[in-house]
Amino acid sequence: MSGVLIMAEQRRGELRPVSLELIGAAQALRRSGDSVAVAILASSPNQFIEPLKLAGVDEIVAIKVESAEFDPDTFEAVAAALITERAPDVVLVAHSVDSFGYAPALAARLGLGFASDVFKVERIEGELIATRGGYGQKVNVEVDFPGHSTVLLALRANVFKPPEQAGSPRITEIAPPPLSSRSVGRGFIELAGGDDVDMTQAEFILTIGRGIGEESNVAQFKELADVVGATLGCSRPIADAGWLPKSRQVGQSGKTAGACKLYIAMGVSGAIQHLAGMKHVATIVAVNSDAGASIFGVAKYGIVGDIFEIAEELRRNF
Amino acid sequence: MKILVAVKQVAALDEDFTIRADGRDVDEEFLLRDLNEWDDYSLEEAVKIKEAASQPVEVVVITVAPEHADEALRKCLAKGADRAIRVWDEAVEGSDPIAIARVIAAAARRESPAMLFAGVQSSDQAFASTGVAAAAFLEWPHAAVVTSLKLSPGAQSAVFRRELEGGLLEEVEIHCPAVLTIQLGINTPRYASLRSIKQAAAKPIEVKSLSDLGLNTADVGEAGSASRVRRMVIPDKGRAQLIEGDVAAQARRLAEIIREFQGSAP
Amino acid sequence: MSRPDAVTRILFEAFPTAEVRLFYVIAYTAIAIFFYGVYVQVRKYGRGAPLRLEGGLGRRLADMAAKVFSHRTVERRDPAAGGAHRLIFYGFLLLFLGTATITLQYDILEPLFGIRFWQGPFYLVFSLVLDLAGIALLGGLIYMMYRRGWLKLPKLDYARPDRAPGDADFDRPQYRREDWAFLWTLLVIGFTGYLLEAARLVWLHDRPDVWDTRWWSPVGAALAALLEAAGLGAHGGGVLRLGLWWFHGLLALVFIALIPFTKVKHIFTAAASLMVRDPRAAQRLPRVPENAQTPGIARITDLNWKQLLNLDACTKCGRCHEACPARAVGAPLSPRDVILSLREFASATLESASLPAAADLDVHGKSPGQISMETLWSCRTCMACVEICPVAVEHVPIIVQMRRKLVEDGAMDPLLAKTLQTIHKSGNSFGESKRKRGSWSKPLPFRIKDARKEPVQVLWFVGDYASFDPRNQKVTQTFAALLHQAGVDFGILYDGESNAGNDVRRVGEEGLYEVLAGANIAALEGASFDTIVTTDPHSYNTIRNEYPDFGGTYEIQHYTSFMRRLFAEGKLKVTQPVKLRATFHDPCHLGRFNKGYEAPRELLKLLGCELVEMGRCRDNSFCCGAGGGRIWIPDPVGAEKPAQNRIREAAAIPGLDVYVVSCPKDLTMFEDALKTTGNEGKFVVKELIELIREAVPAPRAEAAPA
Repeated sequence: MSGVLIMAEQRRGELRPVSLELIGAAQALRRSGDSVAVAILASSPNQFIEPLKLAGVDEIVAIKVESAEFDPDTFEAVAAALITERAPDVVLVAHSVDSFGYAPALAARLGLGFASDVFKVERIEGELIATRGGYGQKVNVEVDFPGHSTVLLALRANVFKPPEQAGSPRITEIAPPPLSSRSVGRGFIELAGGDDVDMTQAEFILTIGRGIGEESNVAQFKELADVVGATLGCSRPIADAGWLPKSRQVGQSGKTAGACKLYIAMGVSGAIQHLAGMKHVATIVAVNSDAGASIFGVAKYGIVGDIFEIAEELRRNF
Repeated sequence: MKILVAVKQVAALDEDFTIRADGRDVDEEFLLRDLNEWDDYSLEEAVKIKEAASQPVEVVVITVAPEHADEALRKCLAKGADRAIRVWDEAVEGSDPIAIARVIAAAARRESPAMLFAGVQSSDQAFASTGVAAAAFLEWPHAAVVTSLKLSPGAQSAVFRRELEGGLLEEVEIHCPAVLTIQLGINTPRYASLRSIKQAAAKPIEVKSLSDLGLNTADVGEAGSASRVRRMVIPDKGRAQLIEGDVAAQARRLAEIIREFQGSAP
Repeated sequence: MSRPDAVTRILFEAFPTAEVRLFYVIAYTAIAIFFYGVYVQVRKYGRGAPLRLEGGLGRRLADMAAKVFSHRTVERRDPAAGGAHRLIFYGFLLLFLGTATITLQYDILEPLFGIRFWQGPFYLVFSLVLDLAGIALLGGLIYMMYRRGWLKLPKLDYARPDRAPGDADFDRPQYRREDWAFLWTLLVIGFTGYLLEAARLVWLHDRPDVWDTRWWSPVGAALAALLEAAGLGAHGGGVLRLGLWWFHGLLALVFIALIPFTKVKHIFTAAASLMVRDPRAAQRLPRVPENAQTPGIARITDLNWKQLLNLDACTKCGRCHEACPARAVGAPLSPRDVILSLREFASATLESASLPAAADLDVHGKSPGQISMETLWSCRTCMACVEICPVAVEHVPIIVQMRRKLVEDGAMDPLLAKTLQTIHKSGNSFGESKRKRGSWSKPLPFRIKDARKEPVQVLWFVGDYASFDPRNQKVTQTFAALLHQAGVDFGILYDGESNAGNDVRRVGEEGLYEVLAGANIAALEGASFDTIVTTDPHSYNTIRNEYPDFGGTYEIQHYTSFMRRLFAEGKLKVTQPVKLRATFHDPCHLGRFNKGYEAPRELLKLLGCELVEMGRCRDNSFCCGAGGGRIWIPDPVGAEKPAQNRIREAAAIPGLDVYVVSCPKDLTMFEDALKTTGNEGKFVVKELIELIREAVPAPRAEAAPA
């Protein structure tokens, strides 16, 4: 068993950036002599090859499959074939919605070692040790994989750094194994509006969470956001309750606020799904009355206090 | 027609928790147990299908856990599940989601449901794997992060939407029977009054052992798992630099941070 | 031949026998209809759930008689109506007794035993009394007509907040028609009675024992003079008398026959309702019986017979409608209309020979007669309605029991459902760990005894808000410091204490209440103490009034009584009087529920404050809006909140310095309302404990908590 196999992700004609992070992570895991291969599945895989030509990639495996978009049976069958043929000792996928759909099945079927939402990987005396969160991200759990010669790891997004330099890997084109897919995609739907706000472009976001209490309190935070020049965002429970349109939801399932540099979270506890969407932000300020809220573990600055009082005082400064 | 819903009694950590002596888990006295939040939604989805169906639909919940999980099962029975199954054996201790999935798949083979639901993930360990791994053992079609579902009991296929990153949905049609992992917000879970939970105590919980399901100890525990916990560590407490002072001082500092950012922005 | 001692009125004088017989046939028919009507009503009550009354019937009868004859419940908050109704009541009563007396002699005593007493001086005094009674009756009726027709009182406006204009039962013109018909009928009966009297006098002008004694019926005599002056002769008087006799008689008999079918039945139902009242109606709610099919009230037949009787006792006086804080801020709830809707529903379904199908007995919903969820969830269980109702209708227990059904169905605001689940999980509504319940005590310079482990004299039941809400924690710390300073031997239960359950019960989650009460009682049973003191009126109410039903009977005081005693015993002394103009807001659960009005006022006086009362004070205190679980239910965006309404009332007091509360929820609600009504800076909201601390400063050696 040797080498690292990476399953890249693409969607709607674009390579998902997390794929490059996987390449970065692979560099820490490769042993000398190991080869790092990146597999890309699409109906026209060639469009995704250029961005994958990074330093540290030895081979790009392009597989032309029937469906243009992600399909669990397809990914599982192709990955299984690649693993069986090449016997890598590490397989890297993203901990993403797509991989939720096939990675555990792949691990179960092939009897692989497996851990998901991994944010740290290392080799200690040759042993692969992965670290993930436990009990709602309140503890770090180190796991190993005794007896498994190939280990599948789903890595957390926005943690590992992609390589900076370009590279010149060899390109291999492979036909997929015979497979029949038991589901078929019928198209994408953008989250219906509300307002035209584009969270993906916002550089300064003020997010409100369950801590605001009732719907009637939303207005004052909207006002605050306007006054300080921020875009108002919210966590999932607020959007689910209909207090703000879904277009304002930030977090794993909400808009990825990729351009955000300053993020103020008020009354947001920091549930894993929310944090996953915000961890990349340079400056996070958390305001919460609960000193033990998870978000304080991620934020750069923290204020333990009453969000209404802070909001009011903050207004006075503008 | 039967819908099987796999549920989990998860554990949250109480104040000032400590790690067990062997370093591989948290001290049990600090574990606050409750039904997994995702399971409220997957169970509710199954019960809604049952209530809307013109033919009789049985909703069965199953969990792999020791006796303390009966409380969570009772809550499910109060919320509309018809039967509850709990599988346990000492050997299951130390199982990871893959091993648990093997047990659930074995139980599903005996129950022969038309669909298997699970939550996207559990709020404690967040592996997001059990449901889909069980699908592999069953060799059933599967999909994850279902945010809306159109299912007629007994139909050949179902149409659902899965919730992707960045606020996007994809509509998919899948052959049935299938395994679906259900996402928060798909419905509004009903409230189970204390009275109904107490009355649900009258409904029996079937306890099964590994042998009842045709499994042996090698299928579970560490031996049957895809990973093993070496140790648990309490991470360094919060990286956040706390802004001290009274409310006015804190707000002033925050305003400063905002202005700094705005000053540096083009 | 006239003998003054034999003067009397000959009944049926000059009537042909056939007419007399006709009269008796009609009379007996009217009475039969009356009794049939009573039977239908009683059968209706019998179709409700059973209930066993506590307390002896004799005592209840005496209480009821006292209330009815003194009319004190009718004159509360409306002395004019009370006075007018007294006139009507006594007038009608005397006139009725008058007729009964005549019947007694004429139909029973005389024919059977030859006894005659209605004659001579007795007869004359009798006539005078009845004439005066008639004046009282007519006077009262005329005032009531003026009140209804001219004053346009808002509480007599039947437009209801839980329906929209255009709904079938939005405005109820049939009620107004009935009200006026009642007034006019009685008025006409009364007036024709006088006219009849006058006509008889004119007719019998030539009979000295009639004419010479006529001024014993002064009104009749005066009218007779007018009639004669208008040219009426003896013969004409006779004809008029005959005609009026039949008119007056038939009208009165029709009136009697229709009593059980109309508003007039309140004569009986109001008295009966007062007799079967529960003096602890909203303070102590009933348990769910073990064998109940569904908890609470789902169908009209789930109401017990007393509640069905209550529905019929309501006279639409509107006092509850006026007092309700939810109605005052535009919520879709009027206690009056809950009762009237259910009454209409009961009449429509329970008065026919057979009962309708179960599905048609459902009282929840939006059809006429049904009560909607929005209405039920608007209630703050502040008890203003129950407390003011002159006829002892018990609205709050009906609302709570209907909520029990809603809770069972999960039909509630999602935030409320979440809070109930949180309370179940962590024993408090804040979702904090049980272990942190006593954390507020950590900054104090002294240790508070753990009542679970060591005996104490005073066990302080702290409560949720006082333990976890940051603003209230300051008050809690201050109280601890004061107790310590006074040398009181006290302790708390730390994590052994859970939410007392008062509001959980009033939300209708009886199952959760039983869990909480059970847990608290177990903790209390395991501790050793003489008395319980609490700073939370909600906990006070439920521990005092409801825990005994669950096996926990303890002596408990609210801190205001306890502190008053500490001052009286000299354990605390005022050294720096607080010379502020203050107003006191009576907390619902201390004041109206448990009559605890005086202790806080005595304390304020002791502290040196100048107390200025708000218009709505003591029993009429206006709820802050947090009760009944409403603090866990979001208010509609943009609507006024009860607390804002109340702060505006206080803001009208010139020169007000401080608005004093003695309940943790009040503190939270009113501080918020102070800001949102724009009154911040004009006066402050303070807990009484904080004022005590200002007047009784901490000794220099210990630092007071920050």
